[in-house]
Amino acid sequence: MKKLLPILVLVLAVFAAGCGGDDDETTGTTPAATNGATTGGTAAADCTGSIGVMAPITGDAASIGTEQLNFTKFAVSQYNEENGTSFQLVEGDTQLDPAQASTVAQRFVSNDDILAVVGPAGSQEVEAVGPIFTRADLGFISGSATRTSLTQSGDFPTFRRVVPNDDAQGPTIGTFIAEELDAKTVFIVDDQTSYSTGLAESVTEALEGAEVTVQRDSVNQDQSDFSALVSRAGNADVVFLPWQLANKAQVFAQQLKEQGSDAVVFGSDGLFSADFTAEGSYVSSFAPDIKEIESSSELVEAYEAEYGEFTSTFGPPMYAATQAALAAISAACEDGEPTRESVNEKLGETDQQDSILGDAISFDDSGDVEGARFYLFKVLGGGKYEPADG
Amino acid sequence: MPQLPRDEERSTGQPRIGTDEWVASVEGRRQRRSGVLGQLLERLGQLPFWAPLLVVAAFGLLFPFLTDSDYVVRVGFNALVFALLALGLNIVVGYAGLLDLGYIAFFGFGAYAYAVLSSNKFDIHLATVPTLLVVVVASALLGLVLGLPSGRVTGDYLAIVTLFFAQIFVTFTTNANRITLPWGDRPLDLTGGPNGIGGVDPFSLFGVEAIAVTSYFYIALVLVVLGMLALHVLSESRTGRAWKAVREDPLAAEAMTIPVFRLKLLAFAFGAATAGLTGSLFAAQQIGVFPQNFELPLLITIYAMVILGGAGSIPGVVLGALTITVVLEVLRGPDDARLLFYGGILLGLAIAIRPWQRLAAVLAGTALFGFLVHVVVGSLWPRGTARVAAQGEGLVGSIVEAWVLLPTEPGTIGNVAFVVLVASVLGMTLLRPLWRAVLLVPTLYLAAFVWENRLIFQPSVTRLLILGALLVVLMNARPQGLFGTARVEIV
Amino acid sequence: MDGTFLLQQFVNGLTLGSVYALIALGYSLVYGILKLLNFAHGEVYMIGAFIGYFVLIGLGGPDDLAVPVVVALTLMFLAAMLGSGILGVLIERFAYRRLRNAPRIAPLITALGVSFFLQSTALLLFGAKFRSYSTFQFLGGGIEVAGVRISTTRILVVVAAFSLMVALTLLVGRTRLGKAMRATAFDREAAAMMGIDVDRVIVATFLIGSILAGAAGVMFGLVFFSVYHLMGFTAGLKGFTAAVVGGIGHIPGAMLGGLLIGLAEAFSAGYISSTFQDLIVFSILIAVMLFRPTGLLGKADIRKV
Repeated sequence: MKKLLPILVLVLAVFAAGCGGDDDETTGTTPAATNGATTGGTAAADCTGSIGVMAPITGDAASIGTEQLNFTKFAVSQYNEENGTSFQLVEGDTQLDPAQASTVAQRFVSNDDILAVVGPAGSQEVEAVGPIFTRADLGFISGSATRTSLTQSGDFPTFRRVVPNDDAQGPTIGTFIAEELDAKTVFIVDDQTSYSTGLAESVTEALEGAEVTVQRDSVNQDQSDFSALVSRAGNADVVFLPWQLANKAQVFAQQLKEQGSDAVVFGSDGLFSADFTAEGSYVSSFAPDIKEIESSSELVEAYEAEYGEFTSTFGPPMYAATQAALAAISAACEDGEPTRESVNEKLGETDQQDSILGDAISFDDSGDVEGARFYLFKVLGGGKYEPADG
Repeated sequence: MPQLPRDEERSTGQPRIGTDEWVASVEGRRQRRSGVLGQLLERLGQLPFWAPLLVVAAFGLLFPFLTDSDYVVRVGFNALVFALLALGLNIVVGYAGLLDLGYIAFFGFGAYAYAVLSSNKFDIHLATVPTLLVVVVASALLGLVLGLPSGRVTGDYLAIVTLFFAQIFVTFTTNANRITLPWGDRPLDLTGGPNGIGGVDPFSLFGVEAIAVTSYFYIALVLVVLGMLALHVLSESRTGRAWKAVREDPLAAEAMTIPVFRLKLLAFAFGAATAGLTGSLFAAQQIGVFPQNFELPLLITIYAMVILGGAGSIPGVVLGALTITVVLEVLRGPDDARLLFYGGILLGLAIAIRPWQRLAAVLAGTALFGFLVHVVVGSLWPRGTARVAAQGEGLVGSIVEAWVLLPTEPGTIGNVAFVVLVASVLGMTLLRPLWRAVLLVPTLYLAAFVWENRLIFQPSVTRLLILGALLVVLMNARPQGLFGTARVEIV
Repeated sequence: MDGTFLLQQFVNGLTLGSVYALIALGYSLVYGILKLLNFAHGEVYMIGAFIGYFVLIGLGGPDDLAVPVVVALTLMFLAAMLGSGILGVLIERFAYRRLRNAPRIAPLITALGVSFFLQSTALLLFGAKFRSYSTFQFLGGGIEVAGVRISTTRILVVVAAFSLMVALTLLVGRTRLGKAMRATAFDREAAAMMGIDVDRVIVATFLIGSILAGAAGVMFGLVFFSVYHLMGFTAGLKGFTAAVVGGIGHIPGAMLGGLLIGLAEAFSAGYISSTFQDLIVFSILIAVMLFRPTGLLGKADIRKV
């Protein structure tokens, strides 16, 4: 028994440590922000608080989630450096699973330091965390959840997004494919995610309205070989791929070519990426080519110096969302101690000029981003694009 | 002193099935010598069956009063849901010994069934109790159907057939919004596809709607306690004993006129009903169901809980579920994760190294080694100690900064150190005790270095990394699981 | 649809099937000897694919090679096979050896633990980014048979896979080591009593299985381009399925199972629907299992009690 005693003490100590501090963990993302170059010079400097970020950092969508996380970290450290603030970031991995997302949401709500949340990535995750954040009056901004009903239903008054919804994008793409590309038959392959099926639906509707023959099929996200499907899709004039993973689309396009098909690939958001280089293809994107925007190119350089090259369009919207969240906390600070309610209110008044996405960002009453624009590009290969229409 | 076989059957005075008593007791004696942990677990294992039940019930009742944070209660709820799932799986795997990899699908089926019967999806809003009855019966029936192949297909072949079923379930729920029947002109929407079903009704029992997490926590607690009780009764019953006979040797059982096939079906049905019920609870709490909820990694987690706790042991699987849920949750936050990391290492050392003088020597050696390295490197290569500790506020931060090397660009160095650390830990297992103790000192320091320079920046990845390592180490240390009984397979 | 289309699907299925078959062989070999479902096998394959990728990049990348293509290919395969082989042996030595006589489910959970560990390690070291072999025009050209274009890479992969399978069959059937492997698989204890060093045989089995997985990883990269940290999970699942369908522990069975699954996937995606591809394949397989409960070529376990 003598020997047991110290062990028991240790076990209990570890257990107590585990149960004890369930709140107030924060991830510092302020490397060397200690030199205190205060440029903002307002009350914002002694404003503190944290924001939470939800992203699929591990799991199937880790490639997207990691970029989202990195852009958020980058945005926080940039903001802190520019304004001399010391906002902190708390990360929460959702693995794109709504159940995990809602546990993380509860964790964020219980952490009193957290005044706003950036994310989650998927529309069904928003559905799962919505009720929790609504009850806590905690504002949350997604950089990629595009399902229309999330804002239009009015169920989640504290939800906002910096990207336009599916309804805005579908018709534009449909019209372009039917009129500019003059397609008679279109093969649409979604990737069985909420984002992808939503967009596929709305494009199908638009195309069928223009009397284009549409065929549908889908692949699951684990799949890496599309050659069998390609044999079937290859006869269409245009193949529309509303996918998130550019790399897989590249394989698809390559296999089309391999089998001698001359169908034109048209991709959406996720495919506007350095990993998708099939010449002669088209992509639509909610974000402009930020590497080409002068005001953003410096940011891009700084980001790549710290986190390496980024390949998707899922990161920059998170940057914009983070900026909006931090600006809202700073604004709330000016009226006194910021609370979740006041931060949420300030989020509604967001008016961000020259965002990383090129345009100004503000939200309408339902939480959708105002003046949503789409950009269509023709892929020239080697990371070069040419604006198609305008 | 001869050892009685340690097993829950002991209390009934039945001989253990499938083990030669002498062989089993040899194994028991070896276990006995194998360390403090073994002794501790054995003492716990000797408690009467109602003791763990009482502990769970009492702790559970008080738990929500111990904290004012909904998050902690939510984690408690998650742990209880997993405990329920583990209890159900315990029937199939622990008692009947059937490798059922389709188990997760019943959880999903229960959730979807509840969502279909109580939501706006088809505008059906059945009351909670009838819905649950329907779900449980339907899940049990589905379990029977999935159990049917077990008559012909056995062992790993059964595992693969059930695994197909789990895969089919996910594919089906993800795509059941676009099945066009030959006679219909519009695609039929059964499950909402990848969007899932939202706006599921909350549980409403005795005229009260359960909204708060705490309510669900208590519902889950009641179910877990009832489940443990039912499982105990079941395990002591004729059926329970027959299951174990089937598990140990189906052929011999058959020869003893035990209806093997019927018992297998029964095990599938019981397991499925438990999982289905849990699924409903899960759906109601989440206010929705989504296909991503029911993917294979979750199944693996449940299996890990059951095996880690000790398949066949009721307190074991519950403890397994609670431990893994809590550990995974604690690892989310870098501060807690750090404590868990160092605490875990200390605990492991305390268990593995005896006498305590040697332990003290190793710890003192490591501390000294660290300061020495820090001083030497600090003077030769100032950049090697220049960074501020991540997560470092107060005392912990200062200790870390004074003791661990913190180079300014930790990325690549951290990666290399991680690989070296893994190699060195593996290498240590091959060495003689003395050399092992010597190598232990730099390895411990290296572990701290890797943690502070690499892992702490990626808590989400570290979580899974540690889970994997934990499974390997624990299974190697106690193959029968924490509370499992050492089984000797007679060939 | 016509004959060309049929042939096209056959080619598609054959390529995918030969990769599956190579993975399945590793599962089957290990299972035959240890009765262990080595779920970490998929991760060995993933590491193999990554090693091949880094060698390719180290040599200047697919479009700008510092050495002739043949040399690059040889180096990629050799490095990946060697690396995977070592990894497999390490896994056996440190994770499974102590568990030889434990209840069967313990090594299974250990295998899952190893699998988690390797996945997260890859995520930690290599990041979550998809990497692409980008070997689109690596070997150039290809041939055209009856209107179907078949790229050189595909031909190379299928030929290489089949040569490896032939080599394996010869190894198991004709050499002393092969004899020892068969004996150990038949009855480990009796083999030990006959003076066979069972430990060595088991190590050799893991080595061979992992080498095949490493080669499969590179082949996958060459034809399907993308490598990432989770690629082993799906592929491992398919390989495991193939092994079981063919009759686990049975070498020709694993090859047959792999090809069958590859073809079934290609034909269901090509003729019916890619959405329900998995559902169709799995349903077929369940039916197969019901009619032949020990797999296509597996023999019923006759047990003497």
